[in-house]
Amino acid sequence: MKTRSAVVAIAALVLTWTAQTAAQFPPRGGGPPPTAKASAPIDLTGVWVSIVNEDWRWRMITAPRGDFPGLPLSPAGREVAMAWDPKTDGSCKAFGAAALLRMPTRVRISWADDSTLKIETDNGQQTRLLHFAAGRRPAAPSLQGDSVAEWQRTLPPNNPFGINFPGGPPPPPGGSLSVVTTNLTGGWLRRNGVPYSARTTVTEYFDRFPGPDGSEWFVVTTQVIDPEYLLGRLVTSSHFRREPDASKWTPKPCKSA
Amino acid sequence: MPARVFVHPRVALVAATMVAAVVAGVVAAQQAPPQQPNFDAVTVRSFRVQDNVYMLAGAGGNVTVQIGNDGVLVVDTQFAQMAEKLLAEIARLSGNQPIRYVIDTHVHPDHVGGNERFRRAGRAIVAGNVAGDVRGNEGATLIAHETVAARMSRQDGATPPAPAGALPTDTFFGERDEVFFNGEAVRLIHQPAAHTDGDMLVFFRRSDVIATGDVYVNTSYPVIDTARGGTINGIIAGLNRIIDITVPRDKQEGGTMVIPGHGRIADEADVVEYRDMVTIVRDRVQEMMKKGMTLAQIKAAGPTSDYDGRYGATSGFWTTDTFVEAVYRTLGGK
Amino acid sequence: MSNYRRAGLVLAAAIVLLVPQPASAQVNLVGYWNPLVADEDFIERVPGPNVGDYAGLPITDAARKRANTWDAGLLTLPEHQCKPHPSTYGFRGVGVLRIWEERNPQTQQLVRLKTHIQWQEQERDIWMDGRPEPSELEAHSWQGFSTGRFEGNVLVVRTTHLKAGWIRRNGLPLSDRATMTERFLRHGDLLTHVMILEDPVYLSEPLVKTNGFAVAPTGTMEPYPCRPAVEVPREAGEVPHHGIDDVPPTREFGQRHGIPEEAAAGGAATALPEYMSTLPSLPLAEPKGDPNEGFGPPPVPAGRGGGGRGRGAGAGAGPAAGTGRGR
Repeated sequence: MKTRSAVVAIAALVLTWTAQTAAQFPPRGGGPPPTAKASAPIDLTGVWVSIVNEDWRWRMITAPRGDFPGLPLSPAGREVAMAWDPKTDGSCKAFGAAALLRMPTRVRISWADDSTLKIETDNGQQTRLLHFAAGRRPAAPSLQGDSVAEWQRTLPPNNPFGINFPGGPPPPPGGSLSVVTTNLTGGWLRRNGVPYSARTTVTEYFDRFPGPDGSEWFVVTTQVIDPEYLLGRLVTSSHFRREPDASKWTPKPCKSA
Repeated sequence: MPARVFVHPRVALVAATMVAAVVAGVVAAQQAPPQQPNFDAVTVRSFRVQDNVYMLAGAGGNVTVQIGNDGVLVVDTQFAQMAEKLLAEIARLSGNQPIRYVIDTHVHPDHVGGNERFRRAGRAIVAGNVAGDVRGNEGATLIAHETVAARMSRQDGATPPAPAGALPTDTFFGERDEVFFNGEAVRLIHQPAAHTDGDMLVFFRRSDVIATGDVYVNTSYPVIDTARGGTINGIIAGLNRIIDITVPRDKQEGGTMVIPGHGRIADEADVVEYRDMVTIVRDRVQEMMKKGMTLAQIKAAGPTSDYDGRYGATSGFWTTDTFVEAVYRTLGGK
Repeated sequence: MSNYRRAGLVLAAAIVLLVPQPASAQVNLVGYWNPLVADEDFIERVPGPNVGDYAGLPITDAARKRANTWDAGLLTLPEHQCKPHPSTYGFRGVGVLRIWEERNPQTQQLVRLKTHIQWQEQERDIWMDGRPEPSELEAHSWQGFSTGRFEGNVLVVRTTHLKAGWIRRNGLPLSDRATMTERFLRHGDLLTHVMILEDPVYLSEPLVKTNGFAVAPTGTMEPYPCRPAVEVPREAGEVPHHGIDDVPPTREFGQRHGIPEEAAAGGAATALPEYMSTLPSLPLAEPKGDPNEGFGPPPVPAGRGGGGRGRGAGAGAGPAAGTGRGR
């Protein structure tokens, strides 16, 4: 009898909690899962401008050959960097995916389709396609490589185990964009020919944040792993401020190899 | 409860200390006296600084209060119109302990205006001896440097003599005086020719707090009352003296706390920042004078422009221009 | 086992999985973190920024003048020797970062996060309990008064009550009226620190800086005691500084690195991509000095194609590099 009473009491508690939780989060209906575009936890679309106040003299101008203090280059990477020909300054190799968003540039981010985010730069006139769709055949090696994107969503507070119960409440707002890029043809990490190889994997995290003056920003944390030219991973963080419009968009081509 | 209003102390100061133009003192006379602050709208705020030493802020200079079983020691008394509010707050903080000592850091009315009321509210004891209330109802003992007493007891520029009840009862004319009160030594250190000719630093040795009067403020460039013997080199010597006395607890922070004449609670690092600024400005003006530049040329060269955003003013009693002029004059400029 | 007992066990398991937990951090920042100083801003963060390098920073004329007259000898004064980095700079330094929590033992509510950076023992409190800011008349500190909250998985921190510090440790000042907003973003073993600095005296607009940390595989933290001493005999009260008419250090910095003095002098415009188009039109002094300053391979001397020290400012925006000194 005592056990039966305890079970009834516990059941009542669980039902009460479920009702309260359901009241906080509207139940999700059936049907196909929302597209990447429809389910985006953050909005990265628009025109953004890089604000270059870090590594200024390696990003705004081309540093001399051999000027790359601190970078974890392997002996092979150092050899290639020291052989850089300054006459090739301006090459499109400096605008590859591993370093594109480290360049001083404006970027325009838009949806190419419901599962593909497009990033265009005016400096270097490059285009990157970030694919959310699973089961897609990767593109051939290229300067911008093949990018697989995923939304990273905020972990709900009452979900300490990270378990997503089917039909459960949707996660709270906010999140990040995670992008992994492979199939690169190699390029330069810096304008003065510091190289990365075709074996490079680039992982990026895009996060939005507001400025105190009403401005909007995003930061992209870029991790470059290159077993050929880097001794360890290289991690940079570059920040961009939203522009009101595209009036300052100034396309500048890079020099083809 | 009246709404809190921040009253710039310089606004109140000029109203009470109009200084006629004299050979060495051209500063304040060029400014028209602004209106008195609305004292009814000013609230007294108290802050515990360290151990049993508090800072009270209202209108006028900061008030320092040390509280203990022996009673209350007060440094500076703001304006007369603030006295009741200050006394009420002191009574609240101390549990109605009697005020035994009042100490004036210098002669300006925003620091001594409440003297008479504070003296009357207090009860003296003999020379720090807690044997009994020998003086009965003669009021608190009021200590200041001799020059402060001399100025208060006569016509001082445009300032009439202070009433007898506001005058210091105990003075000293040397470098220092001292009191032992509430279990600690309280050193009264005369700083000559700084903000005025009668400045005093008050150092609570065990509580490790120093009240600086207007030798150190963190709200504006140092005010140099040239008509009353103030000089830029005296200000700098006073700041360096404060730095000599203060000892930080760790990593240039904490330790000896500093109650400025105006502004927020500070420590050695804050005084160092201010001292550096004042010294650099003095050096620049001095260098320009050596090159034969006139006062107008020196002002135009902007010897303070990199600090103006923090300490400067373009209106009111103490502007950047009047500060530069005071530096120039007290370095010997004609 | 009876049916009721089985049902009871199932319900108990459901409660463990489903009962709401006390409000807590959505992301765990606790632990030891290594600053990734080699990866970006190496020169500024490790050996120290060049005197005269303000490029890209939205500084005011007042900040520029302060920095141009700053003398590093100031740091030899005993009263300057033991100053730690303020919180507005410490996270860009070289020291290991440790983050830990303090919770109310009864309610397990998060009271504060604490951070400690090794160099000069910079220790901060980030109050998470909603307490208000102190009065403007209260003392300021190197680390300031910080309050934090979680926005989703992001720790957002607001800091006031800072002592006068520095934007960069080459004399660029930060006033005691500065305030800071930070965001701590964790992705796996990476922590991105976003700092937004405002200073009505020395910054013309908010300064945003971002840098990274990685989880440290081993947690060690050494003490960093400091006791000042007289290192350089000086006249009492002497404060080292340069004259306002002295040659500004931006000139020497520009000469050393092939950067126009005006660019080295900074300002908000120097951080924008379009500034690359401005650079070629700015006067450039004859190079002087070793641009690598001992922190890299020696520069390739002129005659072997030059150092490529051109202002080939992005593709097609300037004179082609490799033409001697890039002019």
